[in-house]
Amino acid sequence: MKKNDEFYVPYIDGSLGVKTKQTLKRFTIIALLTIILGALLFSYTQKPFKNSTFELTNSTKITGVFHENPYPMLRVEVAKNIYKNILLLGFGKSSANPFLEKLQNQVKDLNGKLLSIEGNLIYYNGKTLIQITDEEKITLENQAISSIPVNESINNMTLQGEIIDPKCYFGVMKPGKGKIHRSCAVRCISGGIPPVLVTTDSNNLSQYFLLTDLKGGPINNDILPYIGKPSKVKGYVEKMEDWHIIKIDVSDILELNKKSNIY
Amino acid sequence: MGLDYQLVLWNKFKKTYDKIIVLAMLLYVILFAAITLTFNSETSIETLIIRAFGSLAIIMLHIILIIGPLSRLNSSFLPILYNRRHLGVSMFIAALIHGGFSIFQFHALGDVNPIYSIFTSNMDYGSLTNFPFQVLGFFALLILFVLASTSHDFFLSNLSAKIWKRLHMMVYIAYALIIAHVFLGAFQQETSTFTIGLLITGFIIVSGLHLVSAYKEHKVDKTSTNGTENWLKVCDISEIEEDRAKIFTIQNERVAIFKYDGKLSAIHNVCKHQGGPLGEGKIIDGCITCPWHGYQYLPHNGQSPPPFTEKVSTYQLKLENKTVFINPKAFDEGTEVEPCKY
Repeated sequence: MKKNDEFYVPYIDGSLGVKTKQTLKRFTIIALLTIILGALLFSYTQKPFKNSTFELTNSTKITGVFHENPYPMLRVEVAKNIYKNILLLGFGKSSANPFLEKLQNQVKDLNGKLLSIEGNLIYYNGKTLIQITDEEKITLENQAISSIPVNESINNMTLQGEIIDPKCYFGVMKPGKGKIHRSCAVRCISGGIPPVLVTTDSNNLSQYFLLTDLKGGPINNDILPYIGKPSKVKGYVEKMEDWHIIKIDVSDILELNKKSNIY
Repeated sequence: MGLDYQLVLWNKFKKTYDKIIVLAMLLYVILFAAITLTFNSETSIETLIIRAFGSLAIIMLHIILIIGPLSRLNSSFLPILYNRRHLGVSMFIAALIHGGFSIFQFHALGDVNPIYSIFTSNMDYGSLTNFPFQVLGFFALLILFVLASTSHDFFLSNLSAKIWKRLHMMVYIAYALIIAHVFLGAFQQETSTFTIGLLITGFIIVSGLHLVSAYKEHKVDKTSTNGTENWLKVCDISEIEEDRAKIFTIQNERVAIFKYDGKLSAIHNVCKHQGGPLGEGKIIDGCITCPWHGYQYLPHNGQSPPPFTEKVSTYQLKLENKTVFINPKAFDEGTEVEPCKY
């Protein structure tokens, strides 16, 4: 050990010698410089975050026609004859269905009914979702049946992308994709939030496909092992106005051993 | 030294030490937030908190881990060791903020218990790249909790210095878990040569300093003693400085031989408080004073001066011409032994 004639005793005032003080000063300066360097590197090298939005503290009331095909949505007319289908979500990592149950029991079938829902909007890249936090904030506007979107067949397709939970991806979390977020996405989809396949092309343009089983029913638990990983997904693609749907057999999903490139 | 237990026995040095810790932590978080909000303003507050406190905890852990070997290599660093536990508790608070926010963000408000979710939401335990890295962070946080909550003289005294020290060696397991947590988690997605380079450099510095200090310690244990079964020749009296000691390893135990006021006394080298090396201490006011926290022992009987009650083993010495011999058989802790006069 390097000898130092000075001998510091914590409870003896003045025992901190000049040489020891100098060493402590140097150590403190180097530690502070390391702290500054660490803050610079760890903050500056973060990948860019998306401008997705979650209006956690703002409530918005939207009115539209409810449909469940197979995931609950509200068809809202945003301009003359232009419709947007807003995906309905529950609080936290849960489906909207428990919040709709009371009204479903009253009218038996909510499909085609005009509803007003007050909740927190989530939006990014042309898609909008709404978080429902209180079943009392869902109002049946009238009993008349309005038209609901009809799926338009496209073709069998094989797509490369990543399966995400739309609640986090479209605004609640940043980033709402990839390995760091995988366990959260698993919880969301396990809780009833619809799984969505995101594909991004070389021009950074993304497409979104709601995933269903081959019969068009919801899939949640069977798809959990494939979430948050680059994958190849094969299925029959349909278009439902502003959303795509891909009907798949989960066993056809192929994990790709590569880095995620979705945006 | 203290007779009763208080949450913190404050003194001027500890206050300055803690002010520097708090200021450094604030500086880190403010800088991290300012740079993120300036260059990457679309972040969310939760992500900012998780990342700022996670990265801060790792940097603090590296600083904590180098203090030990630095103090072994140069006694000028000992005052930093003296209050290291406050640095450890502060680091645990940073890690807890990181872990707490992450568990809430990623696992709470779901269909299962958040702790159960940590272990079951990602079941790719057989894959390296897809490994559930959060499990590693969770175990590291548990270890850090045990270490932070026992970082007090109450536990040190009740568990005994030996068990307490062994318990606190678990910090190296926590370090390994944290490195794996970061490399199998964040670095799989947020890959940057700079941050990966920073942690690799940190690992090299931490392991390098430990290896160098271990080598120096090993040299102490190799110090040769020879002689008959009853008396081992240790050194020439001139090799021991006045009011200081020389350390020898006798039958696998380290013994410190002190020279003071024309006398020589030998005691077991390990301080009862926290296992500090008494032989690197100094005679102050007639007492052997531990270099780590200033615990004191009387050289002729290995007892702390009253009202303190700590005791260490003592040894018998003899002097022939100017050569010091030691009887390798240790006396019971606190046994009075006539100092060897010269």
